Amino acid sequence: MSIGKKPVKNPTIVLREEFDNWAILYNPDTSDAIGINPVGISIWKMIDGTRDVTDFEEEIKRNFRQVPASISSDIESFLNELEKKRYIKQHFGE
Amino acid sequence: MPSSESPFKLMRTPRVVDIAITSSCNLQCLYCYHFNNPELDYKDLNAVEWQTFFKELGNLSIMSVCLAGGEPFVRKDLPEILDGIVENRMRYSILSNGMLINDKLAELVSLTGRCNGVQVSLDGSCPEINDICRGAGSFAGAVRGIKILQNYKIPVTVRVTISKYNLRDLDKTVQFLLDDLGIEFISTNSAGFLGSCKLNSENVQLDLLERQEAMKALLNLAKKYKTRIGAAAGPLADARIWREMENSRLNGAIVQGKGRLTGCGCAFSKIAVRSDGAIVPCNMLSHIILGWINKDSLQDIWQCSSELNRIRSRSKIALDEFVQCKGCKYVSYCTGNCPGLGYNLTGNIYSPSPDACLKDYLAAGGVIP
Repeated sequence: MSIGKKPVKNPTIVLREEFDNWAILYNPDTSDAIGINPVGISIWKMIDGTRDVTDFEEEIKRNFRQVPASISSDIESFLNELEKKRYIKQHFGE
Repeated sequence: MPSSESPFKLMRTPRVVDIAITSSCNLQCLYCYHFNNPELDYKDLNAVEWQTFFKELGNLSIMSVCLAGGEPFVRKDLPEILDGIVENRMRYSILSNGMLINDKLAELVSLTGRCNGVQVSLDGSCPEINDICRGAGSFAGAVRGIKILQNYKIPVTVRVTISKYNLRDLDKTVQFLLDDLGIEFISTNSAGFLGSCKLNSENVQLDLLERQEAMKALLNLAKKYKTRIGAAAGPLADARIWREMENSRLNGAIVQGKGRLTGCGCAFSKIAVRSDGAIVPCNMLSHIILGWINKDSLQDIWQCSSELNRIRSRSKIALDEFVQCKGCKYVSYCTGNCPGLGYNLTGNIYSPSPDACLKDYLAAGGVIP
């Protein structure tokens, strides 16, 4: 569960945006990479150690149309995947 | 009719930057594309200038740089250069002759943890063959360098450049590299009409029969060693492409992305920098200066340079517009080949390169292997 946790980026990870509004997150230490969509990019840019899933969800609902009802769990899954890949760390902040 | 839409997708910034990190080399190979190029200024930048540029590359999310030259390991300040790459979150590869690699340098590369691989040039199974083109002591030095890299578990590949001198040594060379040295992958090429090779062409470059012999030998070797032998250009690449073209023609296939000047997609994903800091489309098109590092914005050049965009629009030029392609039965299956080599042979990058022209090859008496 990511609720209440405030993720922090691994500073080595590179966000490489492309013209089609998709991007890749790339770990130069391992060559590992994943493709992310515009919502993923938006979440990645918000990750700063002070915001949690609720903050991300609010921001996504404000900035994107037709946000699915499952958005909260979608964000959680995305963050868990990033954590598994060591692209972020999740912790309970102050 | 082939579609006029480009088969390539432009990236927001280049994914890879090829960098001639030095113009110096400890060897003077007979077919070197770098030396004896009247359009190059043989000048090096210092490490601070490169580090400043790497910072820009990092900000543009460039994924990797390929360090070539000259010989990258001649630079005494290589540690600072590699630091600049690592600090700016990139990976790198190195093209080398292997001779200067020692334990200290291999350890340095290994400790960065960011090296995709070192490609060492080696053209023969023994000094008697290899050293004809590459110079005395180059075989022993390259083999020593390869073994040191292997000791440090740095991925190492080998580039074999095929010339008149090593043509009949190919079987032994491949066996030596893949079986004896345990190299995972080798790529092959042939001496192209560039740089020093222009001065030594008659002695070095393959004639029609030799080219045919090389194709046959390499296809057999590739059958035996499968994916461990590759080629982006040269006899093996020609043989594979020509076979595919002939099969497509016989089957009446409609092949997307062919029939136009689509022989190179590099300008959509990578760019190059000369040792003097000039930004150019490719090391083989080093006369087209698009700008200068630390002075001009690489992103602006990448996205807005009219010269670079013109090169990208080559892919819209239909081959049947060219006199030399009129009536060619392979025109719908051809890409017009490498623009860099084409420029060196014809002085024009906006026309097909005659080097890998199947029509010319067959007209001269060649046979598709």
